[in-house]
Amino acid sequence: MIAVEKISKDFASVPVLSELQFIVPDGRITALLGANGAGKTTCLRIVTGLLRAASGRVLVGGIDVAEDLQAARRQLGVVGDREGLYERLTVAEYLKFFAELQGLTGSKLRSALDSVHTELELEALWSRRMRGFSQGERMKVSLARALVHRPKHLILDEPTRGLDVLGVRLLRKTLLSLRAAGTCILFSSHVMPEVAELSDSILVMAAGCIVDQGTSLELMERTGSASLEDSFVALAYGRKQILTEGAAA
Amino acid sequence: MSHPVQTCFRTQMLPLLSKEFLEAWRDRRALMTAILAALILPLILTGLTVFMVKTQTEKAVRVALLGAETVPLLQQQLQSERLRLELLDGGQPQQLLQQGYDLVLEVGANFNRDYESFRSPSLYLYTDSSKSNTGRAQRRLQVGLNRLQQMVLSQRLAARGVAAQLLVPWKLQLRDVSTPSKRGMLLLMMVPGLLIMTLVFASLATAVDTSAGERERLSLEILLHQPIPAWQIMFAKTLVTASFGWLGALLSLVALVLLMPLMPLAELGIQQAISVAGVIVMAAILLPLALLLAVLQILLALRSQSFKDAQARLGIFQVAPLLLLMALGIAEVELAGYWQLLPLVSQQQWLKVLLVGGFVPLGWTLAGSFVCLLLTVVAVWGGAQALRRESLLNAV
Repeated sequence: MIAVEKISKDFASVPVLSELQFIVPDGRITALLGANGAGKTTCLRIVTGLLRAASGRVLVGGIDVAEDLQAARRQLGVVGDREGLYERLTVAEYLKFFAELQGLTGSKLRSALDSVHTELELEALWSRRMRGFSQGERMKVSLARALVHRPKHLILDEPTRGLDVLGVRLLRKTLLSLRAAGTCILFSSHVMPEVAELSDSILVMAAGCIVDQGTSLELMERTGSASLEDSFVALAYGRKQILTEGAAA
Repeated sequence: MSHPVQTCFRTQMLPLLSKEFLEAWRDRRALMTAILAALILPLILTGLTVFMVKTQTEKAVRVALLGAETVPLLQQQLQSERLRLELLDGGQPQQLLQQGYDLVLEVGANFNRDYESFRSPSLYLYTDSSKSNTGRAQRRLQVGLNRLQQMVLSQRLAARGVAAQLLVPWKLQLRDVSTPSKRGMLLLMMVPGLLIMTLVFASLATAVDTSAGERERLSLEILLHQPIPAWQIMFAKTLVTASFGWLGALLSLVALVLLMPLMPLAELGIQQAISVAGVIVMAAILLPLALLLAVLQILLALRSQSFKDAQARLGIFQVAPLLLLMALGIAEVELAGYWQLLPLVSQQQWLKVLLVGGFVPLGWTLAGSFVCLLLTVVAVWGGAQALRRESLLNAV
């Protein structure tokens, strides 16, 4: 479980997060929605320990990220908003490197590599250096890197960006199987049908705090909207935005 | 080695080092830069030596003498081993200069008549200033002409009962006391500075790629997500960057030793003093400095806003050691005692000694190297702090 407890953060005296608070339970897929600049990436970076919160705390599997960062990171798998691959390494070398950094050796290492090799259908890419990979291939490798040590918590920042249909299907299949295995999954996205289909729970962020949360149906019901997209616009930008768009149409 | 240290090395440092080395050594651009930087020093030095021997040794200046049939004295008095005058019947000065003469000296048409009537007759000197040795040739001829003029003046004054010394309150004579050996020594003195420069030149591309490059490609962020202390990341990056600089300097040194038989060192009076043991000691002396320069380059690159910015900053940085070493060379500072603890300067001094077959003081060398390593550790710690900076992720 990931627990975010009243975290605040500002950059150059501009508040980005303000007493942000939510819980991501195990065995569930939670989506984090927000307009650009709402603070999603900052929030995810604080959860992964890349940034420090000015106040509040984050617990990953019960471990305070600020107190024992390395232990928290061993429980996390992260797919950032950019893949950040090492283009001069082969996929096998790349995944072995990150698996070893997570402390895997010997038979455990081999088994972990075999596992992502099969699950993410990496056969054709395995021995290739990553320079020139397509966006879909890059995302696949990035996901394999995040999963290679079987983390209990998975964080994905816009994971379907640039993926083709097959890529999205493979991602969906993988996330659902991880959920079934009890993994706690938090992902941010702008693609509403994907959010509606994948997530068990949705967190909507605006101006650095959670403005609503629930299932897509619950959000639609509470905002009186016909679609999740309308619900999101109403929550993130205000009902006026929908009325203005309606009048313009 | 205690158990936790061993575990940490095996599980984290080894994969980190392996990744950094694979990444860096597969970077063709960095590799080519390193090799080029390493080979350019011995090639330049070989070229300079050959050039110096060719131009600075006793090569005679060839002068074509036109219209001097009636002035045999001119040729007789000026002719010497280093100044060869060839009396020609005729010819165009420009063509003669193109044909290989260094200078053309033409005697004016009324030279004899003007000379006898004590008017100043004209001599015309044709030069081609686009030739590199024209200045040297011109100076040599003018020295000869001045001497001849002085002689004629003395004779004329003596014929009138005037002592020539009256017109010469003093006589300045130039004596170049440099020997070929000393001139050659100057070349060897350049080697330490150039080897230290190679440490920077050969590792620059790797330093930029492993820091600003990784940051720009966003792979640094992924690395920082891993459960490893930042100092280990910094240390691995320092080692791989230093490996380029150090191996580059070593390649440079080996190439220099191999090229030495091709250099006309004997003509410069230099005896080759670099032995295999000397190369090994020099390599050992350069290693701590390679580490320090590597980590400083990474620190500077991490402060840059982009890959290009890092290249520009390091471009300026790589000149700094050269300027310092040049300043010390100009000031002719001979460092002793505690000064030998100063990185860069101490290495330069020790390499100088080793190049001419001398011995370096073991105690001071170890102490100086230790200071260098200590500063490297401090810089690695500083780098680890830099990796924790939020601005590094473009978050601020």
